Amino acid sequence: MIRVNPDIFTTVLTGIEQSRQQSNNLLEQVASGRRVNAYSDDPAASATMVYNRAQSSLNDQFTRNISDLKAVLQTGDSAMSSAVTALTRALTLGIQGANGTLSDTDRQALAAEVDGIQQQMLSIANSSVSGNYIFSGTNVSTPAFVADAASASGVRYQGNSGVNSLELQPGQTTAINIPGSQLFTSAAGNVFQALNDLKTSLSSNGDVAGAVSSVRTAMNEVSGQRSFYGQVINQMDAASNALAQDKVRLQSQENDLTGADLAKVATDLSQTQITQNALMAAAGKVSQYTLFDFLK
Amino acid sequence: MASLSGALAIATRALLNDNAGINVTSNNIANANTEGYSRQRPVFEEAAPIQYGSLQFGNGANLEQVESMRDKLLEIRIQQETQQQADSGAYLGAMQQVQSLFGNAQGGGLETAINGLFDSFTQLTSDPSNPSIRQNVLTAGENVASEFNRLSANLSQARAQLDQQVAGATDSVNQLTAQIAALNPQISLLRASGQNAGTLEDQRTQLINKLSNLIDVNTVQSDDGFTLTTTGGAALVVGNQSFALTLQRDASSAMLHIYSSGKDLTSGIQSGQLHGFLQARDASIPGYLAQLDDLATGLGTAVNAAHSSGYDINGNQGANFFTVTAGAGAAANLQVALTDSSQVAASSDGSVGSNGNATALAAIRNQAITGGKTASQSISNLVFQLGNDVSQTSSRQDAQSMALQQLQAQRSSISGVSLDEEAANLVKYQNAFQAAARVISTIDLLTQTVINIGASSTS
Repeated sequence: MIRVNPDIFTTVLTGIEQSRQQSNNLLEQVASGRRVNAYSDDPAASATMVYNRAQSSLNDQFTRNISDLKAVLQTGDSAMSSAVTALTRALTLGIQGANGTLSDTDRQALAAEVDGIQQQMLSIANSSVSGNYIFSGTNVSTPAFVADAASASGVRYQGNSGVNSLELQPGQTTAINIPGSQLFTSAAGNVFQALNDLKTSLSSNGDVAGAVSSVRTAMNEVSGQRSFYGQVINQMDAASNALAQDKVRLQSQENDLTGADLAKVATDLSQTQITQNALMAAAGKVSQYTLFDFLK
Repeated sequence: MASLSGALAIATRALLNDNAGINVTSNNIANANTEGYSRQRPVFEEAAPIQYGSLQFGNGANLEQVESMRDKLLEIRIQQETQQQADSGAYLGAMQQVQSLFGNAQGGGLETAINGLFDSFTQLTSDPSNPSIRQNVLTAGENVASEFNRLSANLSQARAQLDQQVAGATDSVNQLTAQIAALNPQISLLRASGQNAGTLEDQRTQLINKLSNLIDVNTVQSDDGFTLTTTGGAALVVGNQSFALTLQRDASSAMLHIYSSGKDLTSGIQSGQLHGFLQARDASIPGYLAQLDDLATGLGTAVNAAHSSGYDINGNQGANFFTVTAGAGAAANLQVALTDSSQVAASSDGSVGSNGNATALAAIRNQAITGGKTASQSISNLVFQLGNDVSQTSSRQDAQSMALQQLQAQRSSISGVSLDEEAANLVKYQNAFQAAARVISTIDLLTQTVINIGASSTS
């Protein structure tokens, strides 16, 4: 005689238990919105998410760096703009002064205005943002230029030639400052020297035309150097956009790897419920009677 | 000629036999839900025939024995599967806890702290002389150190917990082996006198099953007795004597080791909960601790190297950023050595505003700092290892549970009480009893008749 396992309840209970376990897992997915919670739910996805999070937090930092520094670059750009304006004015004065018909008094008046422009230029060259002098190279606690009567150009450079580089986004670095010595007092065009020469030549009726020529050279040099700031700002904007797009990619990756497919979960959940109910109904029908109920 | 008294004897014995049958049935029904019970059945055999003259007459039936229906081989397989499943279960419990100490798929403390440190270096490159940004670097460093410290302490605590569980399980083993040793002589006695030791054997099987939950056991039943050993060969029970396991604290690991008769059994235990606990305590967790220590050493050393090649805000050469005790304990002992944000070495040439060294510090993010891996790679590998370990153990345990259930269902089909069957048996013995009683009353009547054969003529 073939005997079957007389105890069906253990099997039924096991089935119900498994079914409930499945329901619980699915409900947890719904509650958290995530398919993967513990590392063991999907080890490969969990491992990839480590990289995802590292990239994401770096992305945020790059974006913050750009927005913090843009203000500094913009200050630099507008300082250069003011410098060009001031030099344009000096040029005008110089051209006027080159006219041989002017009186001494007139020329003195022009010289006095050029002196004013010199002081303005010194102030521009010593622009600072949040206490850091932006044209001092990396000597940011020291004003870039100081008035020095002993110097031929009337100023002395106190900064250094340090240039800082910044990584805008992964793999893209750019210089973010130009030392004042390169901007204002380089051999290609020395703003302070030119202005000083102009003042001197005007007040002593010297070679004004020559000084005017120097001022023009210096102004062109400053104009040329100024384009640096615009370029870096453009690079920053472009990097910012790229970072934003990458952020979206990372979020999308996160969703793909660990997000719960709620539609599928809902379907699975109702399927599990159906199975569970069928199991219990069947168990109820099968197990009601033993032979004892039928023997008198 | 067969006599009436012979027939009476046969019928009387039949009554007693059917009574026994009803007893056995009643016992089966009463124990229908007793765990580990093997159903019993009376075994009747024809009695030796009696010779009357030239004819052989049957002499009724004898109750030879009450047999317990069990399959010894199946029971051994159940014990083995129980050992495997208990092993997986114990290991799984421990490693799931370890897994959650590190974090989950949404992130973890150490990972966040390390990302924060690298981010603080990257921020430092944008404004290296900014006091609050410099303070942030220090704070980020302190977060990293405290996360390493915390994680290391938690892992050590997990080991200590497992140590306690090992002690508890060993105690339970000793209690069970003592109980088995007490049963053995009773069982031997019954068997020697040819009686059914079914109930006691059921009890012993149950005890062995419980023991299988804890440790790997081998049963050897020979004619001289019953021996229980671990698969490694250490004796647990021999006949009526049990050999208790003792615990000693190991000098180098400060963990409890299990000894049997003076020999260290610890690495020889192959399954059961004890193996699961020991595997986690002595192999897996120390492995993860070592990886943590390597990461702490690698990160601390790399940061220190970059930091000391730069200059702080006062133009001084950079000091060590972290105090690192390399090797074992690196994670537990990692500390930030700097005390003030002015000591953060962001400058590469001594000038206040240079970010050259900050850039070098930020670049550590992409450098191989331990075993040829970057910090992220190291953490990612660890996460995968942990997750995989738990996931595979979980699958294995599921498979073992299923196998165990199937074995138990099989056992139940052989040894389990079927109420339908017992009902039928009850009817069977009841009818036979009634028939035998009928025979007795018929014989009684006939005997009266015989007795009265010569009595009617007196008047």
